Amino acid sequence: MALLMLPLLLYVIFAFGPSVATVFFSFTNATGLPGAEWHFVGFKNYDRLFNSSDQAERFRSIRNSLQFAFLVVLVQNVVGLFMALLVNRKLRADSFIRATYFLPVVLGVTVSGLVWRMMMNPLGGPLTELFKKLHLDTGFLSSYGASFEWVIFVQIWMYMGYSMTIFLAGLQSIPKDLYDAAYIDGTSRWQAFRHVTFPMIAPSTTVNLLLSIIGALQTFDIIYVLTNGGFNTRTLAFDIYRDAIANNTTADYGLASAGAMVLFLFVFAIALVSLVALRRREVDL
Amino acid sequence: MNRESRWLLSTRYLIVLAVLIIYLIPLFYLFNVSMKTQIEHLKSPVGLFEQFRFSNFSTAWKQGDFSKYIWNSLLYTVVSTLLSILLSLFAAFPIARRYVKFSNLIYLFFTMSLFLPNPLVPQFWLVNELGMYNEQWGYILLRTGGTGIAFLMFVGYIKSVSRELDEAAAIDGCGYLRYIFQILIPLVKPVMATGVMLTAIGVWNDIIGPTIYLSDNDYQPITRGLFAFYGQYLNNWPLLGCGIIIVAGPLIVLYVFIQRFLVSGALAGSVKI
Repeated sequence: MALLMLPLLLYVIFAFGPSVATVFFSFTNATGLPGAEWHFVGFKNYDRLFNSSDQAERFRSIRNSLQFAFLVVLVQNVVGLFMALLVNRKLRADSFIRATYFLPVVLGVTVSGLVWRMMMNPLGGPLTELFKKLHLDTGFLSSYGASFEWVIFVQIWMYMGYSMTIFLAGLQSIPKDLYDAAYIDGTSRWQAFRHVTFPMIAPSTTVNLLLSIIGALQTFDIIYVLTNGGFNTRTLAFDIYRDAIANNTTADYGLASAGAMVLFLFVFAIALVSLVALRRREVDL
Repeated sequence: MNRESRWLLSTRYLIVLAVLIIYLIPLFYLFNVSMKTQIEHLKSPVGLFEQFRFSNFSTAWKQGDFSKYIWNSLLYTVVSTLLSILLSLFAAFPIARRYVKFSNLIYLFFTMSLFLPNPLVPQFWLVNELGMYNEQWGYILLRTGGTGIAFLMFVGYIKSVSRELDEAAAIDGCGYLRYIFQILIPLVKPVMATGVMLTAIGVWNDIIGPTIYLSDNDYQPITRGLFAFYGQYLNNWPLLGCGIIIVAGPLIVLYVFIQRFLVSGALAGSVKI
């Protein structure tokens, strides 16, 4: 059992400890400058977060985070479930099809992101050429109006296959005779889905929704690769990284930690409400 | 199950293929670009390539200094994947079996990092204090220290493995470590394959971690190399295409071997959260 201590210790030092210590840092004026003095400043960082000259951008980050999470969670899971239902029954080359849908997860954010940057490049990117022919807007990742929606699109493109795979695992664990019984009783396809499939995959749905809600709120690597936060694409999660490390002037530990706490409140509240709702629904079904 | 009408089956194929195209076109386009010459690309950016030019790959390999980066990536990926899979197993086994007190509580404790505040700032501070900044071992240790998806999958899966084996092994005088390596690991193979793949993908593709924790160019992994390459050769798309394929290659090879375990692994992971 002593072997349990090793992972536990590493977890406390490198993950749990730092997470909790974020509260502490958020009340100090610590910076990345070596040897600089620091002291407690109360709620000043929280005040700075929303009452500074870049107020509008900060509030946009919140709105972006919520929009990102809502659209990604909704579309990724609805499409993921729909595709899982379609490929769950026999198809030609079904394993190739499933593997291809999952491929972007394997390729990773750098490769996927750069490929889509090429696709949407204003000079000769194939998507740009296509949209020009169709007389659609070709601003893509460098337009203030639409770039964030395109970031969301790439994120969904990347992880739809992941949701689909978890749903597929849930679908495959449903005993076939449940359907036989249902169809003998003369149920329609929709009724079978509503009253057999959907309740049976409730645990997969809970896992998928919860993981994608938390993931979507906290992720920012796709933003880093696609726009590096430009063109109104910053989110709360991106701002933490930006304040702590990337905003060249000084690494503002206090401000970044306060940002992390604000994001945490959103994650916690939204995840808790969803978990309670999903669990209650699992029981009802 | 009742039979599917011809109309329904065709619709199903149509939708599946339409989505498949959205996934394949960017990849096909990438390959297409990588086989062109610069002039060919400028003349007709979306046209088909004229002939196979695999020499583009060796040019990209040299110009992007990928031989240096790929060793770093291999080092980080192999070492921290092995370590974190092993540590996840060490943690998951006694918890799944309730061989320790407060198993449920410890499990909850491990999963808490999923939604606790982003630890970036204190982590960065700690890394500096411990002299781990810009050290290869430091980055590896950091990538090993959290709880990944592998831990959750192991706990779910081990719960379904018969307990009698433990007891039989204990009666035969099999030690704890020997039990884990010789009996448990072969038993959890399918879920381990998925765990290895997801962990390896995470490390290989990590771009934020090296950006934050490694400053020395000689320590950068291939994702950073590719990112720099992209900035440097922004106008030479054939080379860029090759660079991207070089980075994606090793994972695609791993994926081909491991993907058949994927659904069974995901099933184990989704048992309970």
